[in-house]
Amino acid sequence: MASVKPLRISSTESEVQSEVAVVTQRVWNVVVWNDPVTPMTVVVVVFKRIFGYSNSKCTQLMLKVHHEGRAIVWSGHRERAESYCVKLQVAGLQATVEQDG
Amino acid sequence: MPGKLFIRRRDGRVEVRLNDAGREVIRQIFAHVVAAERDPTHDWHVALLAPINPSSDDDDPLSTLARQNEIATNAELSIMTLNEQFLNDAEAWAWLSTLQVGLRSMAVVNGILSDERLEACDRALLEDIRTIQQLLFELAACF
Repeated sequence: MASVKPLRISSTESEVQSEVAVVTQRVWNVVVWNDPVTPMTVVVVVFKRIFGYSNSKCTQLMLKVHHEGRAIVWSGHRERAESYCVKLQVAGLQATVEQDG
Repeated sequence: MPGKLFIRRRDGRVEVRLNDAGREVIRQIFAHVVAAERDPTHDWHVALLAPINPSSDDDDPLSTLARQNEIATNAELSIMTLNEQFLNDAEAWAWLSTLQVGLRSMAVVNGILSDERLEACDRALLEDIRTIQQLLFELAACF
């Protein structure tokens, strides 16, 4: 009996750990929202400066924000998503983070 | 055709060609952003508190602090360089960021959240917004 107990505990811990790992690996999105006052050129240069995207990608994202009201501009780990979100807000854009799915 | 207000020179600096009246307009916006960041009772303060993660009750304090520090740093750098004729890249970026923060704060506190509200807003306010947009448009062309 003594030899069975540690095995059961170890198995339970392993299950819990794998569940936690799944949760933390979910992708986070950085979302930029449309507003009626920000010039389009400002949105493009902010995307270019913060993410280093090409001119055409920045313009596409800006147009998506303008026409659809919002656009996902970056996806990945939560910490980096929050860091990018802060940079966008510091540059004066309306940005938030959200968990994918 | 009027000349450009901001010009990126070959050495990388941005030349500011604003007259005294233009610099005064910008000074007031920078001063409002600094004051709003420091004073919780300032009209614009609430506009600087947009949530980073709206699905959570509270944002990560480190992210909030980072945002607060960076906005204040940009605004203070902008005020310190207000009378310069030439700005380096970081200074010019601080000007752009602070002007844009000021523009959005002005829009948020006046409830301008749609194109219709913008067109219907007070004439003097609309003129202020158009002035800042023009400054931003010209400064953004340097990046």
